[in-house]
Amino acid sequence: MLSRPAGIAVIVVLLIAGVSAPLWLDAYYLGIFTTAYYFGVFAMSWDLLFGFAGEVNFGPTFLIGLGAYGAGLMNNGGLPIPLCLIGGAVVAVIGGVVLAVPALRLRGPYFGLLTLVAVLLLLDFIVIFAAQTGGEIGMMVPDVLSVSTNVNYWYAFGFLVISAVILFVLSRSALGLILQATGQDRVEAQALGFNVTKHKIAAFSISALFSGLAGAMMTFYQGTASVDQMVDLGIAVQIIIAVVFGGRRTILGGILGAIFLVLFDEILRPIGQLNTFVVSGIALLVILFLPDGVLGWVLRPREER
Amino acid sequence: MAAVMPDGAPLLDVSGLTKRFGGLVAVKDVDFTIKGGEILGLIGPNGSGKSTVMRLIMGIERPNAGIIKLEGTDIAGWPTHRIARSGIGIVFQHSRPLNRQTVLENIKLALLPDSLFRLAVQPGVEERARAIAERVGLGAVIDRRPPTLPFADLRRLEMAKALARDPKVVLVDEPFAGLTESETAIFSELIDGFRREGRAVLLVDHNVKSVARLVDRVLAMYLGERIAEGSADEVMQDPTVRRVYIGGEIETHARPELDAGAGEPLLDIREVGVQYGKAQALQNVSLHVQAGEFVSVVGLNGAGKTTLFNAISGLVPYGGEIRWQGAPLAGRSAAAIARGGIVHCPETRELFGELTVEENLGLGGQRLPRDQQIEQREWLLALFPILKERARQRARTLSGGEQQMLAIARALMMRPKLLILDEPTLGLAPVILEQLTQALMRLRETTDTTVVLGEQNVTFALPLADRVYLLEHARIVWEGSAQRFAAEMGTGYL
Amino acid sequence: MVALQILVDGFAISALYGLGAVGFTLMFGVCGVLNLAHGGIMVIAALVGWWVAADYGAGPYGGAAIGVLAGVIASFVTYYAVIRPVQRSKAIPAVEEEIFILTATLLWGIMLQVGLDYLFSNNPITIQPLLPGVLSIFGVRTPWNEVLIAVLCWGFIGLLSLLVNCTGIGKQIFAASVNPRALTLLGYDLGRIYLIVWAIYGVLAGLAGVLLASFLGASADNAGALTASAFTIVILGGLGSVPGSLIAAYIVGYAETITAYLIAPTLRPIPALLILVIVIYLRPQGLLGRR
Repeated sequence: MLSRPAGIAVIVVLLIAGVSAPLWLDAYYLGIFTTAYYFGVFAMSWDLLFGFAGEVNFGPTFLIGLGAYGAGLMNNGGLPIPLCLIGGAVVAVIGGVVLAVPALRLRGPYFGLLTLVAVLLLLDFIVIFAAQTGGEIGMMVPDVLSVSTNVNYWYAFGFLVISAVILFVLSRSALGLILQATGQDRVEAQALGFNVTKHKIAAFSISALFSGLAGAMMTFYQGTASVDQMVDLGIAVQIIIAVVFGGRRTILGGILGAIFLVLFDEILRPIGQLNTFVVSGIALLVILFLPDGVLGWVLRPREER
Repeated sequence: MAAVMPDGAPLLDVSGLTKRFGGLVAVKDVDFTIKGGEILGLIGPNGSGKSTVMRLIMGIERPNAGIIKLEGTDIAGWPTHRIARSGIGIVFQHSRPLNRQTVLENIKLALLPDSLFRLAVQPGVEERARAIAERVGLGAVIDRRPPTLPFADLRRLEMAKALARDPKVVLVDEPFAGLTESETAIFSELIDGFRREGRAVLLVDHNVKSVARLVDRVLAMYLGERIAEGSADEVMQDPTVRRVYIGGEIETHARPELDAGAGEPLLDIREVGVQYGKAQALQNVSLHVQAGEFVSVVGLNGAGKTTLFNAISGLVPYGGEIRWQGAPLAGRSAAAIARGGIVHCPETRELFGELTVEENLGLGGQRLPRDQQIEQREWLLALFPILKERARQRARTLSGGEQQMLAIARALMMRPKLLILDEPTLGLAPVILEQLTQALMRLRETTDTTVVLGEQNVTFALPLADRVYLLEHARIVWEGSAQRFAAEMGTGYL
Repeated sequence: MVALQILVDGFAISALYGLGAVGFTLMFGVCGVLNLAHGGIMVIAALVGWWVAADYGAGPYGGAAIGVLAGVIASFVTYYAVIRPVQRSKAIPAVEEEIFILTATLLWGIMLQVGLDYLFSNNPITIQPLLPGVLSIFGVRTPWNEVLIAVLCWGFIGLLSLLVNCTGIGKQIFAASVNPRALTLLGYDLGRIYLIVWAIYGVLAGLAGVLLASFLGASADNAGALTASAFTIVILGGLGSVPGSLIAAYIVGYAETITAYLIAPTLRPIPALLILVIVIYLRPQGLLGRR
């Protein structure tokens, strides 16, 4: 699959840009890219579920939030960061399996709605238990990954690259093929002898693992787990925008989309709150006129153009 | 390769198979066996339950009763993937391959183990996939993607995927639908290959004719029940089967006063072709209908009748030309065509199930002035008296025959210039057919409505018809008067 | 006393929820569109109504009328700028149309919310009561405005049911929800019927927005929550079922009111979500849903 020159070119350019960034970017922009990288992992995890397993999860932030708050609570309870990261990921995976069960019974809008409800419930619980979670203000954590911008950048970049490699390889592996088959036609996949239940649960667990881990990492990067940046439905929408913009079913497209979103947010900062309006508008245009996304369009097999 | 059981014991043994959907019994107490190296044809008209039998065997639906033994093990009610792993494969009629993967990768998919932890493609898989591709004739397109392939190759790909599982029993749904004659020969050879390897094969199709050359035995179903079993010839000669497909004795009623040759035709179809995706559903069909005529288009299920009517009604895109009252219909919406006087009463009836009989009729006549609405309704209720009794009932609570009458009545409420009736006899009991014949006969005698009737049931279609077209494999193969059809085609039709 | 208070307050709120959800469910039943910009359209009507009433001296009634008109216009813009391009796009496969419409309306809803936020700020606004004064129902002091809102909501729901059951165009709309293909075969243009439904939808959503603004107040930030509550009610009642939506509106309305009065106002949204989760697990087609 990697034989396509356009795909390789995109990856090489991204890698060189990413590795050399600390040389030519100031600390402010390094911070922005650090956030964008975590966002990229959110987007890739979502693409695995949506693009490959065909599950419309409107609530990726449910999994992210579980990871972030799970890790944060453990850190506040005195556990060191590595244990908290593992713990947050475990909590998120449990959440993923909880979502997978209805996904096997419900179709289309019903499942989509359930995922929305999951996010709303999580939001409500965070607010109700404000004493432990910090409510709408966010939950401070005692430890941070690092105080150095460069070190934080490398953590995020490394995490992004490792996640991207694992998710990309998974998506091109047997599991990715089987997931696509189940997402496209559940009956036919079963008739080919694949246990759809097992593979869907696996997809949810993997997606949850990376979402949760990214949420937890981001918590220790920022020093807080916050509703606004990790759980809010607006974030869920941005993740969806990132994937659709970058290209569904490409995994790596999510990274492009995430960087685009975060950068655009910066560039449009002068127009204030209207930037969300413009970004949403652009995403809407992409959906209407380029439904395969930017990377999907670049990688489109030649015979179909 | 698939194992042949000793002393000819059946590989697949189905007994007492029953499936109910709500109140409807789709499959009723069906028994049959298939040995290794044997091909059984399962035939029946639309709605006979043959596809449900196939889905029950594959575990896509769960049977309400019955035993399905694969090499002696009862697999009834197992989940589909387990049934597939234990040796039953299916070739679906409609293929949905992975469009972003190549043909080779699609075949490899079928070779993968059902495991989460063996993620790397195993050695040998590549060679096996290539061998299978060669065998089904996909060798030349192995690196192409499915969206760029012709229809026959997509069917080959489905075949390859089934083959990759090395199934002991292969179920094939409508093996030749949409294929050309030469492609049909190639696919027959492939299926024959399954037999030579000792697999048990179940071919599901509408009629005997298309599978006759290939099968060892045929089982015919109608309304969920087995009506005949035997060699293809025996089943074709079976009186019950002939009654289901052709009806009983053929009668004709010519109208000598009607001169079909004169004047410009009301409807003129010239060299029309229709593609469904990549399948050729209609090929070079020319046909004309004069004002006042009753024309029957006969042909077995799957011959292309419904496609032809959908093309006339503007429901599917087509090549060629369809002219209505001298002007081409192309570019007009389906609704505009219906308002222009061509009213289509489809085989699916398309009633508004949640609305009453009255409301259904009302929607048909809404554009007429009120007095004409009342007049038309009175006339129709006289034509179909049962609808008067049912006026306030919801359409979905009516019996099949009553629904058909309502569908025809609703179409006639629009005062059509041309009424297209698609397969009105589908699934109806003989008594109802008699009532329907009488009503249509009165329509023919007392009004100048032009009618095009699409039918599989020749006995129903011929008495009403002035002229007949025979549609076979997407082409018109015969045209002439009803009397000549009765004389020439009576035996060769099935 | 609290029980009566709950009974009276809950009734008006539920009627308002019902009005908002009826349009949403009608849209899904007939056009197959789940419009996630629903809350945005309600808020447009509310804010425009308030703006005209306050800044241009149109008074509460004039403001309400213009607000509803704004809702209708927003509804048409949604149809022409967002829904139709998705439905007509050749690049979007038919099986993915639903998810594309959901995503596109979600984005459109955000654009509406942010745009309104920019134009009107996100401070909650309240349209002047349409009727001043207070009356006593079984000893519960109730503003006349609340009574009027309940009456208006039920009046419009009644009008809608009259329209659907007793007029030719209503029959066509109902028939389109049952079997659109058959309607085409009978010579009716589905496009025209869909336009009418979008107009009706605009009136209902606009009115719900305006009444909401005069009852509880509204702000751009409410858009998402309003969509979520309409969505919740409609799924709970059964997609496409108008009576189901009304019953669900009352269940949600009273569950919220009871929670707010008896437990804590902050927990207000929780019972509806929990009921919804239970219903989705046990009866995914909703209370009165088909299929």
